[in-house]
Amino acid sequence: MNKLRFYGFNLMPYPYIPPTEEFESTWVSLSNKYYEPQRGRQLYNEYIDQLVAAEKLGFDGIGVNEHHANFYGTMPSPNIIAAMLVQRTEHIPIGVIGNAIPLHGNPLRVAEEIAMLDVISGGRIISGFVRGIGCEYFNNGVVPSDSVERFNEAHDLIIKAWTDEGPFTWQGDHFYIPNVNPIPRPIQEPHPPIWIPGQGSLETLQFVAKHKYTYMMVFAPQWFTKLAFDGLREECRRLDYEAPRTMVNACVPTYVAETDEQAHREAKAHLSWVFNTGLKIPDQIFFPPGYMTTKSFRNFMGALQKGHVKPQSQLSYDELLADRYIIVGSPETVRNEIGEYCDDVGAGGLIMGGSSIGPMPNWMVMKNMQIFAEEVMPEFREADGKPDYLREAPPAPQTRTEVSAQLGRPDEEARSIVTGSDELIDHRHAHLAEVIDPSLQPTADAKPKASAG
Amino acid sequence: MSYIDAVEKTDVPHPSKYYTEPSFETVTGIPIAYRREGSGEAVVFMHGAGFTRRWIPMYDMMAQRCDFIAPESPGFGETPMPGWFRDFSDLSILYDQLFEQLGLDQIHLVGYSMGGWAASEFASYYPRRLKSLTLVVPVGLRLEDNPGVDIFQLSPADLMNRLFNDKSVMAEFMDGMDDFDEGIHLYSEFSAAARLMWAPRYNLALERRLQRLTCPSLVVRAEDDHLIPNEMAEKYAETLPNSRLVMIPETGHEPCLERPEQLVQEITSFIKEASK
Repeated sequence: MNKLRFYGFNLMPYPYIPPTEEFESTWVSLSNKYYEPQRGRQLYNEYIDQLVAAEKLGFDGIGVNEHHANFYGTMPSPNIIAAMLVQRTEHIPIGVIGNAIPLHGNPLRVAEEIAMLDVISGGRIISGFVRGIGCEYFNNGVVPSDSVERFNEAHDLIIKAWTDEGPFTWQGDHFYIPNVNPIPRPIQEPHPPIWIPGQGSLETLQFVAKHKYTYMMVFAPQWFTKLAFDGLREECRRLDYEAPRTMVNACVPTYVAETDEQAHREAKAHLSWVFNTGLKIPDQIFFPPGYMTTKSFRNFMGALQKGHVKPQSQLSYDELLADRYIIVGSPETVRNEIGEYCDDVGAGGLIMGGSSIGPMPNWMVMKNMQIFAEEVMPEFREADGKPDYLREAPPAPQTRTEVSAQLGRPDEEARSIVTGSDELIDHRHAHLAEVIDPSLQPTADAKPKASAG
Repeated sequence: MSYIDAVEKTDVPHPSKYYTEPSFETVTGIPIAYRREGSGEAVVFMHGAGFTRRWIPMYDMMAQRCDFIAPESPGFGETPMPGWFRDFSDLSILYDQLFEQLGLDQIHLVGYSMGGWAASEFASYYPRRLKSLTLVVPVGLRLEDNPGVDIFQLSPADLMNRLFNDKSVMAEFMDGMDDFDEGIHLYSEFSAAARLMWAPRYNLALERRLQRLTCPSLVVRAEDDHLIPNEMAEKYAETLPNSRLVMIPETGHEPCLERPEQLVQEITSFIKEASK
């Protein structure tokens, strides 16, 4: 097994907006009049090409996520992008990390779409679930204080829909569904792996530990990521098991170039954009009333007040580097820093290493990805350099012949009454006249043809 | 009320100005904080989404003329909000029970801002409990072409500027409000307000249900409200079957704090008329 797994990720930002000083928030209130669909088309397609390229470059997985009404990440429906990635890649795992399940009227839609993606991709889907950040609730009728309850219930419903035989009735506090019976079911048993992105809250850590899911930290300083991962490992021990290293993934935007100096020169503006512009969100929009419990809000504001945490939009490039929100440098620097970072926090995976960053032009993203794949990733791989998934048996047969050989011919299942016949007919032969009417069979002992008609 | 778990009172900060110790009456497991002074006609005041825990000058003026009762709704002031508490129907049923326990049979009901919506909801469920209904810059109806600003999206400074037209009054009432604990408490009160009003910010059924009212009603609009559309009060006045609309000049969304004398004058003369 490799020491570290690398997941390419793309937020799909739309950067052609007015200067940051001229608006209050990149989310909710900045008008969509600044979104030019012609430019958007080009960006989307470049972003998709970048994610697709990650497979041939050797990444361990690629990921997309859900955000609404903002210019930081223009993927209100990540499952749509995932569907395109499914079609344009062959073997690489694809993470939807995640769907914001409390926001949707019927969580079953997510169960259905992920199952579709999983079946079509041959079991390559990683299914992430999130509450959605606070801003999301401003474009939505869901009361922020219902967010946690709806998340928990939607999660339970989706997992049950994937694992229990349908149809069954769901009688929840927030959702009622008379017949839960999603078709298709996912290909992976018992269901696609679940990833939970989090900001380190104890409730989320306990949830992940309880279900043995995979945790991924969102942007955070190294010390805070370590605190969260230690907390998760502690919660797992409380439940009498050791968290495997693959259970925790760090999220650190990383840029690599020929030299340290060149890397900083190229990446600075784009990394700063992600935090200072993309995440420019006033408190009242970041934390709509009730999104956090009063207790969590008190803890968070207390930490802000004591200066333990600075709003991300106010972090300078040097602070981002010093706190290791980001890693930038030559291949050697990046190899060393990633090694140190992941050993320190105990991460088995790194998200956004060698990925698209803010408004970075396509050529620069591709340069980052290529140098990262060639000169950083091998350091953390077995001698063959393969991603782990290529060493494991694929989760589903890859060819039609394999399906036939492994599952057999589905002849019994395919039988039904066909007009003109009194007997059950195999649909694959229903176009043959002699199958509908056995008297047409040109055999010696054939029955005489019926006289009628 | 054994079928509902009792909710514990929690520590709530006391504003430095106008704070008074409330009384508590436990209703369906919730200790409801309320303040009551004066004698005469029973007048219940339903507060807006803030400025709780205080016995403000307007209340004092009212209490000199009537039996004035100012309860605090779940999630506001010192009344805790249980997890099951969801909407204005829960609130209306809770208040009906509270009035029963306080021995209030028929009342004059006054509601301010969000409390105007709450009072309208209560009136639509229990019209025979009311001798009169007064709505002061209320919210809760749909103005088709004018949804107003998204109050939950306003920065604290913007919200205060829109609330107060008279900045000297703002300075008086916001004194000490930048305290850390007070800030946390305001977030929790806003969370309660969001639970009641996040979506939609109106109840279409109210327009129909308010037709049940037989008591007279008074709707008070401000001359220049910067928080909610001035037309909201007018729409209420058109909707209520037996109503009168008055305007308080030179004020906005805080007539209770900015123009208490005039407001109390309007309310008490209306109540006097309605009590005959």
